[in-house]
Amino acid sequence: MAERNITPIRGPIKAATIVVIVAIVASAVLLSTSFFMVDQTEQAVVLTFGKYTKTAEAGLHFKLPFGIQKNYNVPTQVIQSEQFGFRTLQAGRQTVYDDRSYPEESVMLTGDLNIVDVEWIIQYRINDPVAWLFNADDRDKTIRDISQSAINLLVGDRAILDVLGPARTSIEEEARIFMNETLSGYGLGIQIIGVRLQNIVPPQGVQAAFEDVNKAQQDMNRLINEGKEAYNREIPKARGEADRIIQVARGYGAERVNVANGDVARFKAVYEEYRKAPDVTRDRLYYEVMEEVFKDAEGVTLIDKELGNFIPLMNLGGQAGGTR
Amino acid sequence: MKKLIAGLVILVVLVVTLLLMGPFYVLDEGQQALVLRFGEVQKIETEAGLKFKSPFLDNVVVYSKKVLPWDGEAQRIPTKEQQFIWVDVTARWRIIDPKVFYSSLTTMDRAFGKLDDVIDGAVRTVVTSNYLREAVRNTNGILQVDAAEAFDTGDAEGAEALQELALAEVSYERIDKGRRVLAQEMLEIARQLAPEYGIEIIDIIPRQIRYSDELTESVYKRMIAERSQIAQAFRSFGEGKKAEWLGKLENEQRSILSKAYETAEGIKGSADAQATRIYAEAYGRDRAFFDFWRALESYKQTLPKFDKTLSTDMDYFKFMYSARGR
Repeated sequence: MAERNITPIRGPIKAATIVVIVAIVASAVLLSTSFFMVDQTEQAVVLTFGKYTKTAEAGLHFKLPFGIQKNYNVPTQVIQSEQFGFRTLQAGRQTVYDDRSYPEESVMLTGDLNIVDVEWIIQYRINDPVAWLFNADDRDKTIRDISQSAINLLVGDRAILDVLGPARTSIEEEARIFMNETLSGYGLGIQIIGVRLQNIVPPQGVQAAFEDVNKAQQDMNRLINEGKEAYNREIPKARGEADRIIQVARGYGAERVNVANGDVARFKAVYEEYRKAPDVTRDRLYYEVMEEVFKDAEGVTLIDKELGNFIPLMNLGGQAGGTR
Repeated sequence: MKKLIAGLVILVVLVVTLLLMGPFYVLDEGQQALVLRFGEVQKIETEAGLKFKSPFLDNVVVYSKKVLPWDGEAQRIPTKEQQFIWVDVTARWRIIDPKVFYSSLTTMDRAFGKLDDVIDGAVRTVVTSNYLREAVRNTNGILQVDAAEAFDTGDAEGAEALQELALAEVSYERIDKGRRVLAQEMLEIARQLAPEYGIEIIDIIPRQIRYSDELTESVYKRMIAERSQIAQAFRSFGEGKKAEWLGKLENEQRSILSKAYETAEGIKGSADAQATRIYAEAYGRDRAFFDFWRALESYKQTLPKFDKTLSTDMDYFKFMYSARGR
C-alpha cells in the first residue's frame, strides 16, 4: 500500500500531514489533561509539580495540562468498612459470606487466659484527603493492624464471660477511641465512626461445653418443674382425699347418733307403755319376737325334755331335721 | 523544507531528552530525595515541588517521607513462666535522616531486613522477661469488675447457693506493667538502634497474642472442665430441687391424710361417745327391762340364722302339753 502511493506526492503532503497530526495529538493531550471530574462523594487533591496546591470539591475542574498539575480523587463522603474474622463475598439482598474462618484475626486471649473468637467490623471515613494521601503508606493495612491490636488489647483486659456478654459496648467504644487516638497520631486523616462487634463465641473446640451449660440450665429448670408438677398433681388430690375421709367420718358420726336416738326413742316409747302394764307387755314382746324368729324356720327339731334318753339323730351333712 | 522539518524534529527530541535527563525533576508530596553527585550527597530535598539538578552529573534517590508499616512474622516465644505463645507485632516507622539511611541501608529491602532483626529481638527480649499475664492484660481493671456470671436460675429458691457453687473461685494476679507498657519497652529497645540507620520507629503494637498449639489444647481442656463443672452444678441443683419437691410432696401428702384420719377418728369417737351416752341414759332407767328388750332385739337379728334344735323346756312351749301351762 505505502509503496504504491508514495512516489508522486511525497514532500508537501507529508509535511502538512505531520503538522496536522502533531496539532491533533497535541490538542487531544491538552484537552484530556486539562480537565478532571470530581464526584459528589469525593474531594480531589491537586498537586502542581508534586506540590500540594488545592483541594477541589465536586464538579468539573480545570488543571494545568501535560501532567504539570495532577489530581487525586479521594472518596471523603463514603463510609468505608473493614471486616475482621469474616468476609462478605457478595453483599446484596442475600448477602453471601465466606465460609472460611480467619483465626489469625479472630482468635484472641482474654484476661483470664481463656481463648475466644471475635468477629467485628469497623467503619471509617476519610476526613482529611491530603493527610490520607501523603502521610502514611499502606493505609488499609495500617487501619487493619491498629484495629486488630485495639480489639486484642481490650479483649485481653477482660474476663471471657464479660467479653461474651456485658462488656461488648464498652469494648466497642474504647476500641473506637483507641483507634482514633492511634491513627491520628500517624496523621492518617481518617476518623473511625464505629466499631461493631459481631459474633463473639468460644472457640470451636469448647463451644459444645459452653452450650452444655445452657442445656444444663434448661435441664435444671425441667427437673424443678417436674418436682413441682408431681407436687401439684398429688397435693390437691390428697387434700380432696382428706376431705373425703372427714366427710365419711361425719356421716358415720351422724348415722351413729341418729341410730342411737332412733333406738332410744323406740325403747323409750315401748318402755313408757311397759311401765303401765309390765307383765303383759313383757310376755307379749316375748311371744312376738319368738314368733318372728321361728316363723320362717323350717325343719327345726323340737325335743321333749321329758324324753331324757332319746338321742336325736341328726343328719349333720345337709338336710336339717333328725328322726321323724 | 525537508531540512527545516528534520532540524525541528531533532531540536524537539533534544529538548525533550534534556528535560527528561534533568535538570528538572518532580518531588511529590510524601517524598524526600537525596541528590547525589558521583555517589556523594549534595543536597537533601524534603519539600515537594519542581526541583533542579545538574543533568548527567547528579543522580536523585527518592525515599518515602510517609509513615511506613512494618509487619513481621508471628514469633513463638516463651514467657517468663515458660509458656509458649505466638506474638504477632506490627510497627510504624519512617525515614527521618535520608542521608544516614542512604549510607547505612540504601534500599528499602535492607531497611525492612534490619527492622526485622531489631524489632523481633526487642519483642523476644521483652516477652521472655515478663509473665504471660503482663502481655495479655493491659490494666488491672479485671480485678475490679465483678465477674459474676449471670445465670438464668429462674425464681428457684436457693439460687444464690447455686451461683456460689457454679462460679469457680476467680482470683486474678495483679499485673505490674501490662501490654502497652511492654510495647513501650519493646519500642525503647528498638529505638536505641534506629538512629544509626536514620530511621525512627514510631510505635510497636502487638497485633495478636495467642497460645501455641500445644498450650491451646490444654487451655481448651481447662475451659471445658470449667464449663462442665458449672453444667454439673446446674443439673445437680435441679435434681436436688426436684427431690426437695418430691419430699415436700410426700411430707404434705402424709400430713394431710393423717390429719384427716385424726379428725375423722375424732369425729367418729365423739359420735360413738354421744351414742353411748344416749343409750346409757335411756337404758339406764330400767336395767331389767333393758336386758329383756335388748336380748329380744338381738334374738331377732341372730336366731334366724342358727341351725336350731329346740327344747320344749322353753317358756314359749309351756302351753304345749297343758292348757294351764306348767
